[in-house]
Amino acid sequence: MFSLMGILSVAYKETLHILRDRRILILVIMLPPLLTLIFGYAFDSSSITNIPMSVEDRDQSDASQAFTKSLAGKESFALQTRSATSGAEAPDLLRERVQGSLIIPRGWGQSLKSGKPSPLDLYVDGSDTTTGEELSGELQQALGDFQLKSRPDIIGNIMDQLPVEVFDMAEKLPPAIRDEFESAMDPWTLKTTVLYNPQQRFIDYVIPGIIGLILQLLTVTLMACTIARERESGTLYQLMVTSLRRTEIVIGKVLPYLGLSILLIAMAVAVAHFHFGTQFQRFGTLSLICFLFLCCSLGLGLLISAFCHTQTQSIQFAVFYLLPVLMLSGAFSPLEQLPPAIQMISQTFPLTHFCHAFRLVNMHNADTGFIAGDLFFMLFGAVVSCAGAAFLLQRIQE
Amino acid sequence: MPDSMIVLDQLRKAFGDMLAVDRVSMSIPRGEIFGFLGANGAGKTTTMRMLCGLTRPTGGHGSIDGRDIWRDRYAIRPKFGYVAQKFSLYPDLTVIENLRFFGGAYRVPRAGMERRIARLLHDTDLEGKIGARAGSLSGGMKQLLAVACALIHEPLLLFLDEPTSGLDPVHRQQMWDLLYDLSSKGTTIFVTTHYMDEAERCTEVGFLDKGRLLVKNSPQGLKESFTSKLLELEAEPIMPALAALREAPGVLGVSLRSGRARVYAGDAEALLAQWRTAWPFPNITLLGHRWVEPDMEDVFKAYSQGYHQMLRASAPEGLAHV
Repeated sequence: MFSLMGILSVAYKETLHILRDRRILILVIMLPPLLTLIFGYAFDSSSITNIPMSVEDRDQSDASQAFTKSLAGKESFALQTRSATSGAEAPDLLRERVQGSLIIPRGWGQSLKSGKPSPLDLYVDGSDTTTGEELSGELQQALGDFQLKSRPDIIGNIMDQLPVEVFDMAEKLPPAIRDEFESAMDPWTLKTTVLYNPQQRFIDYVIPGIIGLILQLLTVTLMACTIARERESGTLYQLMVTSLRRTEIVIGKVLPYLGLSILLIAMAVAVAHFHFGTQFQRFGTLSLICFLFLCCSLGLGLLISAFCHTQTQSIQFAVFYLLPVLMLSGAFSPLEQLPPAIQMISQTFPLTHFCHAFRLVNMHNADTGFIAGDLFFMLFGAVVSCAGAAFLLQRIQE
Repeated sequence: MPDSMIVLDQLRKAFGDMLAVDRVSMSIPRGEIFGFLGANGAGKTTTMRMLCGLTRPTGGHGSIDGRDIWRDRYAIRPKFGYVAQKFSLYPDLTVIENLRFFGGAYRVPRAGMERRIARLLHDTDLEGKIGARAGSLSGGMKQLLAVACALIHEPLLLFLDEPTSGLDPVHRQQMWDLLYDLSSKGTTIFVTTHYMDEAERCTEVGFLDKGRLLVKNSPQGLKESFTSKLLELEAEPIMPALAALREAPGVLGVSLRSGRARVYAGDAEALLAQWRTAWPFPNITLLGHRWVEPDMEDVFKAYSQGYHQMLRASAPEGLAHV
């Protein structure tokens, strides 16, 4: 049905096309290490740092000054103090160029001892939804820590002032009641053990996303142009009057891009491993996941290519496809954050299955059984898209 | 082995309501250089694409070397080479890379390929350009390279779609020398062209007009299908003379040839006799006349304009079934 010579002729020609277009080639080769570096550094730590914030201490008590000082030591904030004013209620965050402003109201220090601790006033910039939330969380935490630190002083102070009879009475309490009382006084805590990504490094989480992004961005768009280019230049007819069969043309065109993509994956993986120290496990399974995903992406590119009449159309189609994929596939943020209906759309993208399977294997050390569904989906996608491309090519002919 | 390389029987192609090729029947013997003539949009390229198995006929049949042009299209492909009207090689590949690619695409065995390539480069005079990108060649060289690529698998038949359009006279000559050379070695050549002087060089010519084959014959046979020689008048001033003659009763058409007015008429002798007794155009001076042999341009004009009165009785449809 088809000959190796035919496939190799097309593959060789296609390789020459890739090598001759120097500009695209350089861009393609630069992208994987560059993207890996950017993502590796941009999202180095998952916690927030240096959020500009201002503090206004209207109380000027020992407690308020001690709390302000404790805030200054935290690297989450870039703290600036504002001299106490009693005028405008809400601070002008825009003018101060801060994302949050904390006001310690007058009499706060006193209220901590009076049995009715009054709340601190925090104003946050809500335009950036995550930062506002994180800021108030951090401050809540800081306030809790401050309370815990102040407790011995407060308790010591109370002890000094209590009459002796109280201690005598306390002695008479049954030990069980005493223990209960102590438990109620102690803060209850959480001891967290992080599994699967113990250092909580974003790069380890995001590496399949980067590989997927590169492959989708480059291979789909490059591949999408191959047949459209031949159609534009008229060489497609020239190809079709030769002894080449459609299958040979399709396979021959996919092969060099497959090789190039494997090289690109290797570069991204190398940078992640040697520069950021990301560990990879179950290499065979990971390779299989990558290979199936590649076939799926290339098939999709080919399908777009066979469908479009010009290269411009192809690129438009590729971008139109890639945009929702990059946002909804869970490559850079957890899929679970999306509404269920959108998640169903996400399930139709190969990239979603690729990232899911890659993370399960690399971070959870899952065996093939866990990812069988993802593998099957990608295989199915590859077969369907390649067959679709071959079918569309036949339609061109008639 | 059938005597005819190409046989068409009532071949038709419709694109929706538009009939591009209308029941064309003909046969082309082996080793012939067949010239396919017709105006732009007459259906030449569509016919050629059907022959190449690139477009499915909507009616009728055709065969190449005894095999059906659509049903057996994959089996036929190795038998012919195709040079498209538009340059359709890979401009970013070099001359030799293009040749090798098409060699592979036609499954030419490695052993013979390099020898074949050397031969083709010699024949097309491209030996000095082996390493040049195809896109950097001149128009003529590109076309010669396209022919070389189409010949890489030593086909029995070569299709060329207006191979000389846009070429300078030197490359046109070179192209035709190449075609003659091929023909003398037994390759059948099917070529479309606009140029009447090129039609003259073909062993047989077919005229296609609005999808229909008007006539198919040798250039000599076509010229002999005129009932008489053609009348040429020398008149002054010449441009008004052309306009006036065109309107004159009994005149089918007029064309300007080397400063003279060539008159197409059913009975030119009677017309001339009439004009010599009474010249009907007061503002035009008749200086003289002569009788000339028709050339291919006259043939094309007579057939495409339907000047049946000056052609021999053989109906074009009858001829078409040769």
